[in-house]
Amino acid sequence: MHEAPIIDLGGFRLDLSIVIMLVVTCAIVFIVAKLATRNLSVENPGKLQNFLEWAAEFVRNMISSTMDWKKGKPFLSLAMTMIMFIFVANMLGLLFGVVTEYTDADKAKIFGKEIISVTEVLHEQHEKHPGEEAHAEVAWWKSPTADVSVTMGLALLVFLLSHGLGLFKNTKNYLKHYVQPYPLFLPINLIEQLSKLVTHGVRLFANIFAGEVLISTIMTLAKASAMGAIFSVPLLMVWDGFSIFVGAIQAFVFVILMMVYISQNLETHDEH
Amino acid sequence: MSFVWENTVIALIAIGILYFLLNKYAFGPLFSVMEKRRELVQQQLNEAAQTREQAAAYVEEQKSALQEARKEAYEIIEQSKQTSSKQAAQLLQQAKEEAERLKDEAVRDIQSEKNRAVEQLRSEVGAVSVKIASKLIEKEVSEEKVQGELVDQYLKEVGGRS
Repeated sequence: MHEAPIIDLGGFRLDLSIVIMLVVTCAIVFIVAKLATRNLSVENPGKLQNFLEWAAEFVRNMISSTMDWKKGKPFLSLAMTMIMFIFVANMLGLLFGVVTEYTDADKAKIFGKEIISVTEVLHEQHEKHPGEEAHAEVAWWKSPTADVSVTMGLALLVFLLSHGLGLFKNTKNYLKHYVQPYPLFLPINLIEQLSKLVTHGVRLFANIFAGEVLISTIMTLAKASAMGAIFSVPLLMVWDGFSIFVGAIQAFVFVILMMVYISQNLETHDEH
Repeated sequence: MSFVWENTVIALIAIGILYFLLNKYAFGPLFSVMEKRRELVQQQLNEAAQTREQAAAYVEEQKSALQEARKEAYEIIEQSKQTSSKQAAQLLQQAKEEAERLKDEAVRDIQSEKNRAVEQLRSEVGAVSVKIASKLIEKEVSEEKVQGELVDQYLKEVGGRS
């Protein structure tokens, strides 16, 4: 298992790999979007502009499949940002990995700060197996979405947004929905909402994390022996292809669920 | 696997900044361009529909104009036919009248000619008969004038009877 490079900034545990990866992801998304919209043209769009317009059209169709387009229009930008961010984030972990290995707790430092996650692990291993050489590996490059705290952050954003919108823009129907069909169902409805939040974040995290775990496992196999190295090549190819698929699907699923949750909380039941 | 809430905060900040930047610099302009294109297409469609309508109206107009021209031509032909037949009738009538007039004139001429001939004949016959008679009865009739009157009277009676 790879550790995360966490340093302590006065009680604030800063995960450097997450900071790096979030910056990289945001930069890639922004640069792609900016390049695509550099020479905007109404009548003669360029290739990248066409691509981004196709993406916008795709997201637009996703939104209008969950709610009335008039209601869903303000979320187009958010959905575009989300799907691009998550897709790029999912893909980043597949490219390569940067892993550093530490055996000495005193050397596990960066910018003169102690990497607390590494020292913790090293001390633990020392206590468990005194005398043996302890070691810890730190992954610096990985998908930001392979971290549960990041995906839960995204899920939390969606949770707060959808419930905020429901509470302030659709107050009566939103509150009524908690005691339907009977007031007895209130705890069940509360659990449902909470489970939506948890599954929304964990689904994305688990899919991407599992993909990365399997990739690092295959890498371990490749390092183990010559035969393992030979076998690992087709395995890695297959699994990388599948991971690209999973990454794309998860980005899609995350965004469509976001739109579904928002539309559920904005539902007015006018038609009934 | 451990939950580091700091990561959550950082992720939220990152996505917030990304959303703000994309919205301001990329998606805003992109969506406005897409909207403009939609409007352009809509406008062109409308224009095309309008043009088609105009073309249809124009064709309709042309058709009615053609119809009218045809009707007019028909009317003209009809009118000229009528005029010509009327003229023909008029000509015929004129010719008839002329012929009638000529005939009447001729009849009148003949009549007057005949009357004159009769008159002449009468006077000649009167003179001749007077001469004959005077030659026959030269000795008995001395007063020629009285005899001539007698003969005239007699001949008048004869002419009136004939």
